[in-house]
Formats: sequence, C-alpha cells, structure tokens
Amino acid sequence: MLKGHLDMIVLAALSSGPAHGYAVIQEIHRRSGGAFELPEGTIYPALHRLEQAGLLSSHWTTAGSGRQRRVYALTKRGTRALAEERAIWQRFADAIGGLLGHPGHAATRTSR
Amino acid sequence: MPQRAPVADYLDALTRELSFDRSLAHRVRQEVGDHLWEATTARGDTSIEAQARAVMSFGEVREIAGQYAALSLLRQARRSGAIIVLAAGALYIAMKGRVAWYGLMQWALSDTLRPVGKVVLAIDRAAYILAFLLGAAGWAYISSRRVSPQFDTACCTQLKWSLRLAMAAACPMVVSVIADATVTALRLLEERPPIAVFLIPLLSIAVEVAFAAVLLIAIGKALRSTLRASSLLSS
Repeated sequence: MLKGHLDMIVLAALSSGPAHGYAVIQEIHRRSGGAFELPEGTIYPALHRLEQAGLLSSHWTTAGSGRQRRVYALTKRGTRALAEERAIWQRFADAIGGLLGHPGHAATRTSR
Repeated sequence: MPQRAPVADYLDALTRELSFDRSLAHRVRQEVGDHLWEATTARGDTSIEAQARAVMSFGEVREIAGQYAALSLLRQARRSGAIIVLAAGALYIAMKGRVAWYGLMQWALSDTLRPVGKVVLAIDRAAYILAFLLGAAGWAYISSRRVSPQFDTACCTQLKWSLRLAMAAACPMVVSVIADATVTALRLLEERPPIAVFLIPLLSIAVEVAFAAVLLIAIGKALRSTLRASSLLSS
C-alpha cells in the first residue's frame, strides 16, 4: 500500500524545502513517527521519476565532507500535484473515516 | 588479504547492474555513495559493521537497479520514437525542397531515366508513408505508457513492442533514403551539372542520411539497453 503512495510521500517530504535524498528519508521518518519501513534505496528511483515528470528539479552541490550531493526541490508543477494529492487523500480519508467510525449506521441499513 | 568495504562493494554491484545506461550509472553511484557514507557516519563510526548496516537498510541491489531500469529504458524508447517522427519530418522537408529545386532549375528526368525514376519514386513514396505511419504509431504507443515503478515482465513487454514498432518504421525509412539517394545519384551521373546546381540536392540527401543514421543508432542503443537490463528480470 505504501509503495502506491510513495510519490506523494516524497513530494510531501520536500514541501518544507529543498533536500538531498538522505534528508528526504529522514524527513519521512520524522514526520511519519517512524511508521514507514521502506528500503531507503527505493526513494532514489522515485526522486528520479518525479524529476523526469517535471515535479522536481535537482542540482549538484558539494557537501561539507567534500562529496558531491544531489539536492531536489519541488517545482511549481510538483507543488500543484502535491495539493491535488492532498485533496484526494483528504476525501478518501474522510470517506473511510465515515465508514469505519459509525458501524451502527451500516448495521441499521443492512437490517432494513 | 584485506577485507573489502561493504559500501564500495555495493556501489560496484549497483554500477554493474546499471551498465545499460552509463550516465545514469555514474549519477546513481555518486548519489548513492553520498547516501551510504552519510548513513554510515550518522551511526557513529565507519567500521565494516556500520557500513554493512547502512547497505542493508538501503535495499537489495537488483531491486533498486530494476526501479531505475524502468525509468531509463522508457526514456530511451520515447527518445527513439521522437527521433522517428523528427526524421520523418526532416525527410519530408528534404524531399519537397529537392523537388522544388529541380523545378526551379527546370531540371527534369531524361527520357532514359524516367521509367527507372518512376519505379524508384513509387517505392520511395510507399516506404516513406509506411515509415511515417509505423513511427507515429510507435511514438503514440510509448508516449501513452505510464512509468512503471518496477522493471517487471509487463514493463519489458511494452518496451519490446515499442522497439519492434521503431525498427519496423526504421526499415522503410532506410529504403526511402536509399531510393532518394539512388534517383539523385542517377541524375548526377547522367547530367553531370555544375556543383553549384547540385549542392542543394546533395545537401538534402546528406540530411536524410544523417537522420536515418541517428535513428538507427538510437534504436540500437535502446535495444542493447533493454536486452542488457533483461537480466534484472530473472532475479
């Protein structure tokens, strides 16, 4: 299930500002309370895929250690896509919440 | 014998699996290398054990390479499709430009060449139309495919279909270029006009040959990459 929402998760992690892959993973871990156990390497192909789709931009920088580091940022299209994904997810969560939150309502309907 | 570092081993293995796309392999090696060293040092030390833990958390090499493969190969197939459409456009302009030039120079085929020219030009026209239709179909097909998150059998089948269409379009396109070059060469050999008059037809043929060569190289590269990456399916 998590893999199906990976793009949205990565976009959301970058909504607070540009970051390199490792920082994106840390951000996902922090904001999800460590709930998602995904192989860390899965994030990088997703970053490439989103960049190719025009939702992210990226450039090389030099880290403090002197290593080359790729930093990703949301593009305008990426920001719009994230807003759309958020709205879809909110509607879905509300619908599921309505279903699971009122078991009596469903039972009443089936007993008629 | 000194013990190999897990991070270096992992990067070597990942680069090997991504050998179907060298520029991607280079970029991924740098990016993943940075990640693994940061993950290693974040855990406090750079010992073999710490490196092994960082590598373990990163994921299995072939699975990660497979995720990159789906994206890279689709990009290559789309590029081939776009080149076919571009080449078809260039061929059309070159052919029309040449015909207009012959008209301007009032340079008609001689009676001896006319029957041969008629047959070759008919072949040329049919081959061009076939190449254009197949190329446009291949481009539309591969452009409408979504990027698969994993390089699986379905993804591989889509890529192979798009490459088959690209090859099917490239063959008549090459026939069309050969036909154009043949008619132009026959005109040159028979009339032997001054180079100033013959420069435009010669340049137009050079453009056609260049586009056909670029197309064949792009398809060959995409085909080699797909075949090389196919080994990732057997994991």
